[in-house]
Amino acid sequence: MNALTIFAIGLGTAFLLGLLGERQKSLGYMLTLAALTFMSAVSASWLVVFAATGADSFDIFTAGTAPPFAINLRMGLIEAALTLLINLTGLFAAMHMGDALLRLGQRAMAVLIIAIMALCGIVLTRDIFNLFVFFELIVIATAGLVLLSDDDSALAAGFKYLIVSQFISALLLVGIIFAYHATGTLNIDGMAEAAAAIDPSVSGAFAIAFFLMFIAVVAELKPFPANGWALDMYEAAHPGFSAVFSAASGTAALYAVDKLLQIGGTDWLPVATGIGIVTFVGANLLALPQTNDRRLLGYSSIAQTGLILTVLGQQDIFGDDYFFIAGGLLFAHALAKAGLYWLSALVAGRTLPDWAALQSRPLLVFAFISCVAMLSGLPPFPSFYAKWELAHLLVAEGRSGLLALILFGALVEAGYLFRWFGYLIKRATPAESIACPAHQLLPIAAAVLGGWALGFVWGELSSSYFGRTNLLLTLPLFFALTFLLLDWLPAWVKNTLAIGGMVAFFSLTYAEYDPLRLIFAVIFLIGGAVTLLASYHAHGRRIGFYPAAMLMYAGMIMLIRASDSFGFFAAWELLTVGSYFLILRGKHSEPHALSYIVFSLGGAFLILAGFALAASAVPPAPTFEIAQLADLVQPVAPWVFLLLALGFMTKTAAIGVHIWLPGAHAEAETDVSPMVSGILLKAGLYGLFVLLMNMGKQSLYGVELTYVMLWIGAITALLGNLMAIFQEDAKRLLAYSSIGQMGYALFGLALMNHLGWLMALMFVINHYIYKSMLFLSVGGVAKRTGTREMFKMGGLITLMPLSFIATLIGIIAVSGVPPLSGFGGRWIFYNAILTADARLPMVLIFLSGPIAFLYLFRLIHTIFLGQLKDEHRRLKEAPFWIILPQMIYVALLMVVAVVPGMVLRHVDAYISQFFPDGALNWEGSTITSQFGYWNPVAIMIIVGVIFMLLFGWLLFVNRRAQKVKQFNFVFSAERPFRPETTHFAWNFFAPYRKAMGFLVQPFVTRFWAAVTDLLHTAADITRRLYNGNGQTYAFHFLLFVVAVFTFRMGM
Amino acid sequence: MDFDWMKIPYAFLTVFIVVNYGFLMTALIQKIGARVGRRYGIPIWQNYLDMIKNYGLRSSITHGAMFYLGPVFRLSGGVGLLLFVPSIYGSYMFSNLSFAGDLILALYFVFFGTLGMALGAAESGHPHAAIGITRGLSQVSMAELPFGLAVFSVALQYQTLSVTDIVAAQQGGMLTWTLFTNPLAVSAAMLSFLGSMMRPPFDVVIAPQEIPIGPPTEYHSSYLALMQTNRVIFPVAKIVIYMNLFFGGATSWPEFFLKVFLIYMWSAFVGVVFPRFRVEQSIRWFLVWAVPLGVLSIMVV
Amino acid sequence: MAYIAMATGFLLVLIGFYGALTQRNLLRMIVAFTIADSGVNIVIVAIGYMRGRTAPILDATVSAAEAVQRIIDPVPQALVLTAIVIGVGITALMLAYAYRLYERKHTLDIAKLTDLQG
Repeated sequence: MNALTIFAIGLGTAFLLGLLGERQKSLGYMLTLAALTFMSAVSASWLVVFAATGADSFDIFTAGTAPPFAINLRMGLIEAALTLLINLTGLFAAMHMGDALLRLGQRAMAVLIIAIMALCGIVLTRDIFNLFVFFELIVIATAGLVLLSDDDSALAAGFKYLIVSQFISALLLVGIIFAYHATGTLNIDGMAEAAAAIDPSVSGAFAIAFFLMFIAVVAELKPFPANGWALDMYEAAHPGFSAVFSAASGTAALYAVDKLLQIGGTDWLPVATGIGIVTFVGANLLALPQTNDRRLLGYSSIAQTGLILTVLGQQDIFGDDYFFIAGGLLFAHALAKAGLYWLSALVAGRTLPDWAALQSRPLLVFAFISCVAMLSGLPPFPSFYAKWELAHLLVAEGRSGLLALILFGALVEAGYLFRWFGYLIKRATPAESIACPAHQLLPIAAAVLGGWALGFVWGELSSSYFGRTNLLLTLPLFFALTFLLLDWLPAWVKNTLAIGGMVAFFSLTYAEYDPLRLIFAVIFLIGGAVTLLASYHAHGRRIGFYPAAMLMYAGMIMLIRASDSFGFFAAWELLTVGSYFLILRGKHSEPHALSYIVFSLGGAFLILAGFALAASAVPPAPTFEIAQLADLVQPVAPWVFLLLALGFMTKTAAIGVHIWLPGAHAEAETDVSPMVSGILLKAGLYGLFVLLMNMGKQSLYGVELTYVMLWIGAITALLGNLMAIFQEDAKRLLAYSSIGQMGYALFGLALMNHLGWLMALMFVINHYIYKSMLFLSVGGVAKRTGTREMFKMGGLITLMPLSFIATLIGIIAVSGVPPLSGFGGRWIFYNAILTADARLPMVLIFLSGPIAFLYLFRLIHTIFLGQLKDEHRRLKEAPFWIILPQMIYVALLMVVAVVPGMVLRHVDAYISQFFPDGALNWEGSTITSQFGYWNPVAIMIIVGVIFMLLFGWLLFVNRRAQKVKQFNFVFSAERPFRPETTHFAWNFFAPYRKAMGFLVQPFVTRFWAAVTDLLHTAADITRRLYNGNGQTYAFHFLLFVVAVFTFRMGM
Repeated sequence: MDFDWMKIPYAFLTVFIVVNYGFLMTALIQKIGARVGRRYGIPIWQNYLDMIKNYGLRSSITHGAMFYLGPVFRLSGGVGLLLFVPSIYGSYMFSNLSFAGDLILALYFVFFGTLGMALGAAESGHPHAAIGITRGLSQVSMAELPFGLAVFSVALQYQTLSVTDIVAAQQGGMLTWTLFTNPLAVSAAMLSFLGSMMRPPFDVVIAPQEIPIGPPTEYHSSYLALMQTNRVIFPVAKIVIYMNLFFGGATSWPEFFLKVFLIYMWSAFVGVVFPRFRVEQSIRWFLVWAVPLGVLSIMVV
Repeated sequence: MAYIAMATGFLLVLIGFYGALTQRNLLRMIVAFTIADSGVNIVIVAIGYMRGRTAPILDATVSAAEAVQRIIDPVPQALVLTAIVIGVGITALMLAYAYRLYERKHTLDIAKLTDLQG
C-alpha cells in the first residue's frame, strides 16, 4: 500500500470529522480510531515487507516530478518502524483519552489525527520546507491538544510553548531560505550533496544557514536548559497526550535531526553530541528533586532524548550498529514513557508517593517496573543491548569520557526512577481503590508487551549480528519469567516448583563445571533450594516474591555459566535487579533497597566500562571471552582490573561502598536475608575470583593493585566487625558481620597465593552456611518477638531451643573456634599469610579476629540468655519451616568441620594450576601445609571425648542440682525489680566504644550523603532557572542558540 | 587411622601432674602476693581444701542447660589446650595429643572455654555476669593482639607452625631462645600475657569490689570445683605455649615447673605493684605500648 | 534593492523578537511576533529576488522556453505563501489562547502565568 495513504487517511478523516454533526461524537471517535488503526496498519505492512525481504528503501514522488521540483518522501525499514511507533502511539493515546476526546468533540479528534499524520510526515519527508510545514502543523496541533487537559495551568503552558515555537519557526524559516539560496534545492538529499561540494566562498554563509535550521530542529528535542516550556507541557497536558508528546514527537524530531545531520556532515556531529550529553546529564540531575510525577517524566523524557541525540552525534563511529543502538534506546524510551504517562492517568494524586495506589494491582506494578527497567537499560530490554554496544564502541574509539558522562547520567536516572518505584511499593496505599477502565489499561498493556517483544527482537538482532545471547531464550531467565505467569498460584506450589527447578537444573548441568564453579553452583542452586525451604512458612500467594527470587537465582547461575563478557554482564544485572526486588519486599526497606540498587548499578556500570575497555584492547571479535582478560597487557590491563575490581567489590560491600548492605540485609524479609547475605554476596566473590584468576597481579603507576585490595580487605574486615559490635538490631549486627567476613575473603583473594585463595573459598562455603543459618534463626526469633532490637529480648533459650542451638553452632563456627568449621578457615589463613609478601595489613586482620567474639557473644547472650521478658513468656519456637533449613545447616556445618577435604581438596588441586606452590597435603585425615598440620577428625573426637568425660563427671557429682526460677540468684539479698532492668544488654560494649569508637564514626555514610546532597542542591539551584515565565524561557532559548553558536564557531 | 592408644593414659598423666602442680603453684603465688601485702596468706594446700569443700556442698542449683554446661566447656577448654601442646620436648610420653593440630589450633582453642563459660554465666541471668563478660571480651580483644602478632613473628622466624619444631629450633643453649633471637616479639607477647592472667592491673573482669567476681558470680559447689580446676590448668597450659614459643620449652618436668613458675611470677609481680585499669584504659594501654612492639616484630623479622 | 529589503526584513525580525521578549502583555507579544513573521517573510522574498527579471508567471510575455533566464526564482515566493498561511494560523491560535487565558485568569500579563515552575 502506498505510504501516502497515511496522509490521505489522516487528512480525509480530519475533514470528514469536521462534517459530522455535533451529536455524532461517538461515530467520530470510532472514525478516529479506525483511521489511526489504518495508518498503523499501513506502517506495519511496510515494516513486514522490509523486515521480511530486506528490501532497500524507496522514494515516493509527488506531483509527477522528480525532486527538487517536487516533494518526495522516503519509505524504508527505519521509516516504517518509526511511523508504526508514532501511529500506534497515536492510536493508543486516542483510546486512552477517549473520555476527553468525546467531551471536546470531533475537532479535538481531528487535531489529534493531524498531529499524528504530521509526525509521520516529519519521518517520511525528504524535503526541508515540507519538514518545516509539518513542524508547524505539529505546533498548532499540540497547542490545540494541550487544551484536552483538565489542568488549568495547561493554558499557560500551551501559550509558553507557542511563544518558543514562534522563535523556533522564525529561525528555521530563515535558515531554510538561506540554505536554499546556497544550494539551490530544498531536497534534503540534494542539499546534502550540494553542501558537500559547496563553493568555499559561500560555505561560511551556508554554515550559518545550516546552523539556524539545525538549532531550530534540535530545539524541538527540548534541549537542556532551553526547555522550560516543554516541561510545563509535560506536566500540564493530558497524560494521554503527554505520551504522544514524549514518545511520538520526540521520535519524529530525533529523526529530523538525523536528516539534518546528513546535510551538515561530520562537522556537526560534535555539536549534536555536546547538546545531547549536556541535556542527558542536566535533565537527569534536575529530575532528581522533582516531586510532580509528570514533570519528572518530562525531565526523564528530555534526558532520554538527549541520550539519543548523543548517539546521533556519535554515528560516525557506529557504522552499521547505528540504528541498532539508537533504535534500541529510542524504542525503549518511547514505549516506557508512553506506558508511564498512561499509567499516571490512573493515579489520582500528582506526587510520587501517590503512586502507592497501584500497589493493589500487581499487573500495574509489573507494568511500571517494566517501564522503569526499559528506561534504565536493564536486561532483557532493547536499551540493554544498545547500552552494551554503545559502551563498547565509545571505548573502542577512545571516547571513554563521554561514556563516563553517559553512565553518570544513567545512574542518576536509575536513582530517581527506582526511588519512585520504592514509593510505589512501600508507601501507604490511599483508601479508595483506583479505577482501571479497559480503554486505559489496553494502551498500557500494549506499551509494556511491546517493550518485552522488542526485547526479544533486539536479542535476536544481537545474537544474529554480534553472536551474543538472546537473553529471553536462556533457560534460567525463561524459567524465572515463567513465575510471572504463575503468580496466581499459592506460595507453596510455587516454592516447590522453584526448588524443583533449581535442583533439576543443577543435576542436569553439574558435570559441566570445574571444581571452583561447582562450589559456586552448589551454593547458588542447591544452597538456594535449601534456603527456599524456609519460604514454605509463608501463606497465601506471596505475589512478586518468586519472580524476583528466581530472577536473582537465574542471574547467579547464568553468571557462572557465562563464558563471554556479555553473558557475564547480563547475568550480573539480572541478579542485581532480582535481588533488589527481593530486598524491597522488607517492611522498612525502601531507602535501603534504593541505596542497594544505586550502588549496585554504579558497580555494574564500572564493570560495563571495564569490559568495554578490555574488548577494545584485543583484536576485534564478535564476543569477548572472559578468559581473554588474561591476554590484556599494559597500559590497558590495570585499568580494566581496576574497573572490574571496583565493580565486584561494590557487591561484596568493601569498605567505602558498604553502606548499602546493613540496611538492605537487615530490613529484608526473614527468608530473604539468608538469600541476599548467604548466597548473593558470593556473586561478588565469584567475580573477583574470575578477575584474579585471569588477570593476576596488576600495577598502576607502580602501585600493585592486589596490594591495595589487601588493605581494603583488611580494613573492611576490621571496620565491619567493629561496627557489628555496636548494633542493637540483631539483623544489622549480622549484616555488619557479613561486611567483615567479606573483608576476610577479599583479603584472602588479594594475598595472591595458593592458600589465600583456598581460604577465600573456605569463607565462601562457611559464610554461606553459617550466615544463612544465623539470619534464619534470628529472623525466626524476630518473627515471634516482633522486634529485632536485641535488648528487648532475652532468656529465650528455653522457649526457642532449636533456634538457640542453631545460633550457638553458628557463632562457634563464625568465631573460628575449633572444633567447628570456622577453624579450618582460620588455619588456612595463618598458613596463607606466612608466605605473603605484605605484613602490615595482617595487623588489622589479627585485631578483627577477636572483635568477632564481642558481637557474637552479644548476639547470643542478649537474645537467648539473660532475663526473659514478661511479654515473651508465651512465645513458641520459630515455625517449622524456618527451623528445618537451620537444622540442615547445622548438619552441614558438622560435615564441613569434620571432612573439609571432601570439598576443598578438589579446589586445592584446581588452584594449583594458578599457584603451583603451597598446595596442602590431604593424606589420611590430617591436612598438612608446608608450615603446620591439622587433623579435623582427631580434633572433633578429642574435644568430644574430653567434653563428654567432664560432662559425665559433673552429672555424677551434681546429680541433685535443682532448677530454680528466673530471679532466683544472688542479688544483694534482694529480688531484682523487673527483667528489663536486670537484663544487661543495651549499649553492651560501652567501654569499647569509649576506647575504639573513633574508628566507627560514620565517615563513609557522611561522604555519600554529602555527594547526594550536592547533587540535589545543584539541581535545586539550577531549577530556579525555570521560573515559569514564558518570556524567560524564550530568553533561555535564545541564549542557548548563542551558546551553541559560539561553541560551534570555536570548534 | 593408626592411633596409639597408650596416648590416652599418658594424657591423663599429664593432666594429673599439671593439676597438682597448678594447685600448689597458684597457692604459692597467692601466698607470695599476700606476703608482699604484709599479710600471712593461705596455706599451700588451700586449693585441695577448697576442692573438697566445693564437691562436698549439698545444696546445688541450676539455671538451665547452658548454665550447667558452662563449667564443662570451661574445663574442656583448659584440658584441651594443655593436651594440644606437647608439655615436655623430646618426650613421646608427654607430647600429649599434639598430633591433632599445630600452634594455631592451640591459639584458637583458648576461646573454646572462654566462650562456653561466658554462655553459661550469661544464662544465670545475673547482670554482674554479663557485665564481667563484656569487660573480659573487650579487654581480651585488644590484649590478644600483641600476642597474635608475636606468634606470627615467631612462626615467620622459624618458618613453621609446629610447636615441636619451634622448640627444637631453640635447643642450642639459652642464646638460641626466642627471647634473645626475637626480643621484640617476646616483649610484645609478655605484655599481652599480663592481660590474660586476670591479675591487676587487668583484672577488671572479675573486679571483686564492683561486680563480685564477675562471670562466675552464680557458680557454686561442683561447678565451682570444675572451674577452679580450670583456673589452675588453664594458666599453666597457656604458659606452656609461651614457654615453648619464647623460652626454649622444657626437656624435663623440673625444668617445666621452674619455667612455668617464673613466667607466672611475671604477672604476679606486675600485679602486686599496679592498681587496676578500667577497660578502656587497658585497651588503650595495649594499643599504645604492646601493639607497636608486635607490629615492629613482624616487620623486622 | 534586494539588500534593502533583506535588511528591512532582518530589522523587523529583531524588532519583533525584542518586542516579544520585553512586552509583558500577551496581545503586544502576539503583535511582536506578527512583526517578526513579516520580517521573515520579507527576507524570504528578498532572497528570491533577482535584478531585472520578471514575475514567475508563464504567459504571453514570458514563454516557457526562456523562463529560466527571464523570471525570478519562484520557489521562495511559493514558500512565503505557505509561511504566511501558517503564520496566520499560529497567530489566530495565540489570540485564542490569550482570550481563554484572560477568561480564566483575568490577566494578560505573561509574568503572572507562572503556576508551573522548576
